[in-house]
Amino acid sequence: MNRKKLKTLVLESYKNDILDSNIVYSIANFLTRSELKEYINQLKNHENKKNVIVLTSFAANSNKGFEKLFPNKKIVYKKDPSLMLGVKVVDNDNVYEFNLKNTLDNIISYIT
Amino acid sequence: MIDSKDIIKQLEDRLMTFGQDLKVQNIGRVVKNTDGVVVASGLSNAKIGEIVYLEEGSSGVVLNLDEDYVSIILLGKADSIKEGDEIKISGKILSIDVSDELLGRVINPLGEPLDGKARIKNGKSIPLERIAPGVIERESVNTPLKTGIKAIDSMIPIGRGQRELIIGDRQTGKTSIAIDAIINQKPMTKDQQPIICIYVAIGQKQSTVAQVIDKLSQANSLNYSIVVNAGASDPASLQYLAPYAGCAIAEYFLEKGKDVLVIYDDLSKHAWAYRQISLVLRRPAGREAYPGDIFYLHSRLLERAVKLNKENGNGSITALPIIETQANDISAYIPTNVISITDGQIYLQSDLFNSGIRPAINVGNSVSRVGGAAQTQAIKSVSGKLRLELAQYRELASFAQFGGELDAATSQQIERGKRITEILKQPRFQPLSEPFEFLSINAVVSGLLNDVPVDRIQAFEKDYHAFIKRNYPKIIDNLSKGEKPTDEVLKQIEKATQEFKKIF
Repeated sequence: MNRKKLKTLVLESYKNDILDSNIVYSIANFLTRSELKEYINQLKNHENKKNVIVLTSFAANSNKGFEKLFPNKKIVYKKDPSLMLGVKVVDNDNVYEFNLKNTLDNIISYIT
Repeated sequence: MIDSKDIIKQLEDRLMTFGQDLKVQNIGRVVKNTDGVVVASGLSNAKIGEIVYLEEGSSGVVLNLDEDYVSIILLGKADSIKEGDEIKISGKILSIDVSDELLGRVINPLGEPLDGKARIKNGKSIPLERIAPGVIERESVNTPLKTGIKAIDSMIPIGRGQRELIIGDRQTGKTSIAIDAIINQKPMTKDQQPIICIYVAIGQKQSTVAQVIDKLSQANSLNYSIVVNAGASDPASLQYLAPYAGCAIAEYFLEKGKDVLVIYDDLSKHAWAYRQISLVLRRPAGREAYPGDIFYLHSRLLERAVKLNKENGNGSITALPIIETQANDISAYIPTNVISITDGQIYLQSDLFNSGIRPAINVGNSVSRVGGAAQTQAIKSVSGKLRLELAQYRELASFAQFGGELDAATSQQIERGKRITEILKQPRFQPLSEPFEFLSINAVVSGLLNDVPVDRIQAFEKDYHAFIKRNYPKIIDNLSKGEKPTDEVLKQIEKATQEFKKIF
């Protein structure tokens, strides 16, 4: 099975925009090992595209500003104390840095 | 001079602006790492030829953009890269820092020093891949680039801005010709500007490159030369990038209006490195398993050899690519490609080399398509006859070897041919200046050596040059101008030759 067909299967694995475990397991039963590996990768990529991860240095509550910035995407909040202060937003393969850790890293790389 | 307070103030200002802008980074993850090629997911903003940085510190260049994946060639060791490692794009196209400080240095294709000296700082960043100058900026080849090798300067002349291929089997003296050409660019007077020479070693043994550097150093030629080395033990990615790095360095000097000579030693190994990368990248393989764009690989490199017109600085880049053939087969894929790209070729043959004819140039198969226009009138006046007589000799000699009686004219022509062959022999790393090249060729073409035994021709030549230099410096001065010698000068030369023959 080629990559395009697997992509179609990934899209078919969703019911009302939610990953359906029954469909996923029934698809997985028909796949070879390598196809299953590719299917999992594509599922992960699809999930990444649907979600936006907001990392903050403290436990964050939902913020409507992010929902406005990323419409049609699910916002996942996570705590990351290493950021020290500020936020880090991960939208698929784009990372938006606005935190103290990144500022300090920039200063270190500028000096060295 | 900037005050120390100002410097600190500038740094403080810079510190205040850190983190004010939202930093957006495009990242990816390593999916696969095979033989110096990393396949990564993500990196949706990556561009072809862009530098990327890996989490563990190494860097790479984007070479393939697929629907879901990006293929990256690594510019260093690939040992510690793991699946899932983060990759960041840099927004920068692969380039090399070049400055005048590079002269006399040995570097790798990334501009990192290999000679143990300090890294080049404050250089100008020149991209490795560049579009060659267009027709409006160019002018035709009109100035000679002397190699100091009699056979080449007389019969296969090279002009500044030309691309002349040196082709032949292994151990036939290809690199020696290139080194001779570099040594011959040494300025004769203090006012004379040397031609900047760049020697690009691709896939060579480190010992061979060390010998070349040693030879250049001994000849005091390193101070106007740069060696770019991507050795046999370096990754294929560096071997692939080496000639482009050499060309980028040449373009830096070209922009300053200088004349540059670049030697690519050799493009066969460059093609092998690119084939290796392409096969790992799973690009479709064509003839001899080379990828479809192997012709473009070399044509876009050699197109960057140029002679710019006066409005654009009048600089030039002369390219001497080297191709190694297998069993003298010039009809293989890469040799025919490069022959068709270049403006001529110097074909070296192993049987000529083994029979003692060195440089082992096969005059019949060697040609210079544009160099004739750049030849000086002095050499031109004697070289036309030379090529014809040598071709006739080769023809007659092949018949004469069957034995049988020969008429006087044929015998005389064969004898002349033997002397021409003998005079064109030249030891390695001893290039001659134009006046001496003229004297040697003129002596044999005008029949002045007809009564000198063939086995004594080389000894005659050596002493003859010394004699003229010592007793007739005016002749040397006259010939140095490059103009066609007047009848008076020719008479003087004849008189001097007869005088020398009496004492020889």
